[in-house]
Amino acid sequence: MPPPKTYRAEGLVLKNIPFGEADLLVTLYSREFGKLKAVAKGARRSNSKIVGHFEPLTVAKLSMARGRTLDIVNQVEVTENFSSLKSDLTTLARGLYVAELVDGFGSEASSNQQLYDLAIETLGAIQQHPSWELVLRRFELHLMRASGFMPELFHCVDCRKPLEPEQHRFSPDAGGTLCLDCAPYGVQIRSLSLRALKVLRLLHRSRIADLPQLQAHESLEQEVKSLLSTAISYWMDKEIRTNSFLNHLERLPKAEVSS
Amino acid sequence: MTTEHLPSAAPSLARLIQELNKLPGVGPKSAQRLAYYIIRLPNEEAFDLAEAISAVKHNIVFCQECQNLTDADPCTICANPQRTREQICVVEDPLDVLALERTHCYHGLYHVLHGVISPLNGIGPEQLKLKELFPRLANTDVKELIIATNPTLEGEATAMYISRHLQGANIKVTHLARGLPVGGSLEYSDELTLSRAFQGRQEA
Ligand SMILES: [Zn+2]
Ligand SMILES: [Zn+2]
Repeated sequence: MPPPKTYRAEGLVLKNIPFGEADLLVTLYSREFGKLKAVAKGARRSNSKIVGHFEPLTVAKLSMARGRTLDIVNQVEVTENFSSLKSDLTTLARGLYVAELVDGFGSEASSNQQLYDLAIETLGAIQQHPSWELVLRRFELHLMRASGFMPELFHCVDCRKPLEPEQHRFSPDAGGTLCLDCAPYGVQIRSLSLRALKVLRLLHRSRIADLPQLQAHESLEQEVKSLLSTAISYWMDKEIRTNSFLNHLERLPKAEVSS
Repeated sequence: MTTEHLPSAAPSLARLIQELNKLPGVGPKSAQRLAYYIIRLPNEEAFDLAEAISAVKHNIVFCQECQNLTDADPCTICANPQRTREQICVVEDPLDVLALERTHCYHGLYHVLHGVISPLNGIGPEQLKLKELFPRLANTDVKELIIATNPTLEGEATAMYISRHLQGANIKVTHLARGLPVGGSLEYSDELTLSRAFQGRQEA
């Protein structure tokens, strides 16, 4: 349902682009109305009271007016800006990756509170636990779940038989796990180790606080990362831009851990 | 984008309107106004404008030292023997050099990145003039690198990236003071704010 003429919303800023002489066109993911695009008048003037309120990864309470083509922000109050997440390159890059995926999976004018809560919870966890890489893996899986693209992890997606231990493969486009007997025509099929399947199932039902018990071997983490990444890319259906910066950072010599 | 309410606009006029409409911040109405303004200009002034555009496109190159736009390489700042070689100030674009020069409080050299790291737009360090910055620092007697990117998320990301790269190098890395509002830009800041931010710079 489209929002009324003037309305209030709480939203996470996903991105902004310069608009007109001194305005910003802001993309937000709101708790109440899903993805929104709105113009923040004068937000690029240094003397503006709202300068900086529309940086990506800022949570704000907004009061908006519906325009003919674009909504206008009347008032804004920042409630969270994840400042320590933003003061480290790696956590910032991860946060922007979250924003890009929420932008890609979220739809306009359709509320999905589960997705909103997942985004906010994930950003908080990236900020609080910079060393927990699995936060991103959990986010990817739960993002697919919240958007209706949760991969099947218990049955063969083709013949529907429950999976036998150690006899399965994975296909993002077929919708999840496959048994060894099934090979639907024309879909991408990947191997899937039993251990990786277990990690995926655990991620599926874990809360963020449970993640430290799930720390896996480097090679296993890589397998899970690559499986989830093929599934995410398949549903995203366009290039994930923040990936190249994340990969670039991984190749840099590690920074000394800051406090 | 449309010139339909000008059904009889002569083709050359329509073309001018169309070209002006492509400029940033110029909508179809302003494009029309500008076009009619140009038509009313004395020939000489209109040709001056056309010639200035063509000269800019023919003569402007990147200064091989600081990467600023210039028609003499090295640029006048890099070529000026009065300027200290011990400081380099890193800025996002050429307009920031102009803004800082207006404060008259800086006498070192610059390095122009021509953009900022913007992961959401797929712009990484490779697409900026950063690959020219690091070798430049290795080969000179620079003592202080002043990072003066805009206080936006992307400007900060760029600053953090540079600092991380220079960890352990024998160069003091400083950052403009927080007097500048977050999300603002150097280009739009007044000279007093800017020179205060400059004088109060802190080690990164
Ligand atoms: Zn099967
Ligand atoms: Zn120069």
